[in-house]
Amino acid sequence: MKRLKNKKQKAGVEVNGNGSVTREPDCGRKQKLSEINQALISDPVDIETLRRAAASKGGLLTDELRRKVWPKLLNINVYDLPHKPGRDVRENHKDFNQVVLDVTRSMKRFPKGMPASERAVLQEQMTDIILEVLKRTPQLHYYQGYHDVAVTLLLVVGERMTIAMLDTLSNHHLRDFMDPTMDSTKHILNYLMPILEQVDRELHDFMIRAEVGTIFALSWLITWYGHVLSDFKHTMRLYDFFLASHPLMPIYLAATIVLHREKEVKKTECDMAMVHHLLSRIPQDLPYELLIGQAQDLFDQYPPSLLAKRAALQPRKSLSISTFQAFQLATLHQRPDTVLQRLTKAQGSSTSRQAPRQSGLEAALPQEQGRLWGKGNRMVKMAVWGLSATLGAAVFAVAQTAMDWGPEVLLQLF
Amino acid sequence: MAESGSSVEFSGTLTSSNLPPARTRIFKIIVIGDSGVGKTCLTYRFCAGRFPEKTEATIGVDFRERLVEIDGEKIKIQLWDTAGQERFRKSMVQHYYRNVHAVVFVYDVTNAASFRSLPAWIEECKQHALGTEVPRILVGNKCDLQDSVQVGTDVAQQFADTHSMPLFETSAKNPNSQEDGGNSDHVEAIFMTVAHKLKSQKPLVLSQPPVGSGGTVNLSKGGTDGGEGSRSWGCSGGC
Ligand SMILES: Nc1nc2c(ncn2[C@@H]2O[C@H](COP(=O)(O)OP(=O)(O)OP(=O)(O)O)[C@@H](O)[C@H]2O)c(=O)[nH]1
Ligand SMILES: [Mg+2]
Repeated sequence: MKRLKNKKQKAGVEVNGNGSVTREPDCGRKQKLSEINQALISDPVDIETLRRAAASKGGLLTDELRRKVWPKLLNINVYDLPHKPGRDVRENHKDFNQVVLDVTRSMKRFPKGMPASERAVLQEQMTDIILEVLKRTPQLHYYQGYHDVAVTLLLVVGERMTIAMLDTLSNHHLRDFMDPTMDSTKHILNYLMPILEQVDRELHDFMIRAEVGTIFALSWLITWYGHVLSDFKHTMRLYDFFLASHPLMPIYLAATIVLHREKEVKKTECDMAMVHHLLSRIPQDLPYELLIGQAQDLFDQYPPSLLAKRAALQPRKSLSISTFQAFQLATLHQRPDTVLQRLTKAQGSSTSRQAPRQSGLEAALPQEQGRLWGKGNRMVKMAVWGLSATLGAAVFAVAQTAMDWGPEVLLQLF
Repeated sequence: MAESGSSVEFSGTLTSSNLPPARTRIFKIIVIGDSGVGKTCLTYRFCAGRFPEKTEATIGVDFRERLVEIDGEKIKIQLWDTAGQERFRKSMVQHYYRNVHAVVFVYDVTNAASFRSLPAWIEECKQHALGTEVPRILVGNKCDLQDSVQVGTDVAQQFADTHSMPLFETSAKNPNSQEDGGNSDHVEAIFMTVAHKLKSQKPLVLSQPPVGSGGTVNLSKGGTDGGEGSRSWGCSGGC
């Protein structure tokens, strides 16, 4: 990560996350910004537009927008977020040691300029978040790489929103990876070769002859590329895309990456080690925008159902795939944040799905800040206004999330 | 790819010019053991010559290699660094057990649980048809953490003997053994020992505590009978 956020502030302009391609002309960007904001205040929220924006060139453009749009893509009410986990979440947790081991070794995922103390705070949060989400759904099993997903979310949306998002992802997009064994994950990986077969028979046959298998793409799939990309802006760009897409989309992207490197692959010695070695090292300067477009095209042309049939993939129940349609349908009926705020407040916590939740703005704020807000602390309000005035719509959503990120993330972002 | 008797294979045409000429022999060595024992650090140290500042969890299989010269022959040593978490073992890493020429089992001397997992790892290998005919060694890592040792050398040695493996105790972080003035690199010696073993397919004896000079390790072939654990070609307790 290249201190994206710090730079952004210093320059006084938002840096978009569209990766290595040249920026769209500013008017296109402006138009996209306003489309996204419009979609957010529509009632119900215009989820189709948000999805399109997340996938199309440049993705969601700014961290600011990501914080507003990501929850919508996952049908999350920002006024009804889970609480920070208590200390007890670490007690007697079967995955505790593994999680700590992986979180401790996740240093590379943080911005280079971040002070160690700040990173340490975030790493503690990361551990708590992961353990909390696992605890909520005992059927979920931790895998190495899950922490790469957690840290990506955490760096963008803060602790409590990360819990909510990770919870949803774990029960949907990532669900197959969280079985007690990796058999379902293997099944998902099995979609890769059939896609290649459809597009480039020769390349496919070469890889079959090399017996390279698909493990080179394992970390791509289960971390949504977070484990292998060194530039955080690319990771965020891909997360925009995957949050708005079918759970198999990371496999289609893997296919486009392999296809993109077709010449290199064919020139390599036809040997498992050599081909694995080549492919597992992902080039850091991939044309992400191009590949994302190609992945979408491949998906439309060879949808999973067709592949399953043609490649005679063994039928296996994939929870991620089978629950996807219902999940997508559910996202269609979301209210904009201003309405949500009112409703959530009115309903109170009794209707919350998870027990330890409160409602409304105060509830969503950390204890102390909540009190300050209640008393009408001018400083806080002004600071919040300062953040939100430039954004126009959804003022309260910004206020809430901004406070929710907590001072350490705020420091980092602003 | 199917080979039986010989434990080496010849590579076909190589593309890149900085690679060794064709027909360089490749020794494939798989490195396994619990998560966190230091497999990535050990393989990195051997291939890059230093302790990595930051490692990350290994997801699936990583691959490192290094070209060495043994008795005048250039040989490519390929190390397969595998994921330690149990869930990756069963359905994932499997694929990579095929065609390996040697196995390195790693445990962490400061973590008794990682030592207790060894029988499961050995069993895992057996299931992939990697029995005692394939050279196997046992490495106890993190010897630099002398104050927190949980697995004593004697216990480990006994275990190694039972399974006919030589035992090496070392540290990926600070592999210089104390006795010889800190000049030699144990990690280097360990992998080179395996390579020599593979090259000769005869048992080897580490003549001395390995003396490193300019990155080479002096190993001499031993004349004793085949692969009987540490007695014949191992060293232990050297850290
Ligand atoms: N003190 C000390 N620490 C070590 C040594 N070797 C590794 N470590 C540390 O142990 C931790 C785990 O090392 P890795 O090499 O990542 O472990 P691994 O076996 O590859 O783990 P997985 O990839 O999860 O299977 C890291 O924090 C290393 O810095 C050593 O010899 N001495
Ligand atoms: Mg590792």
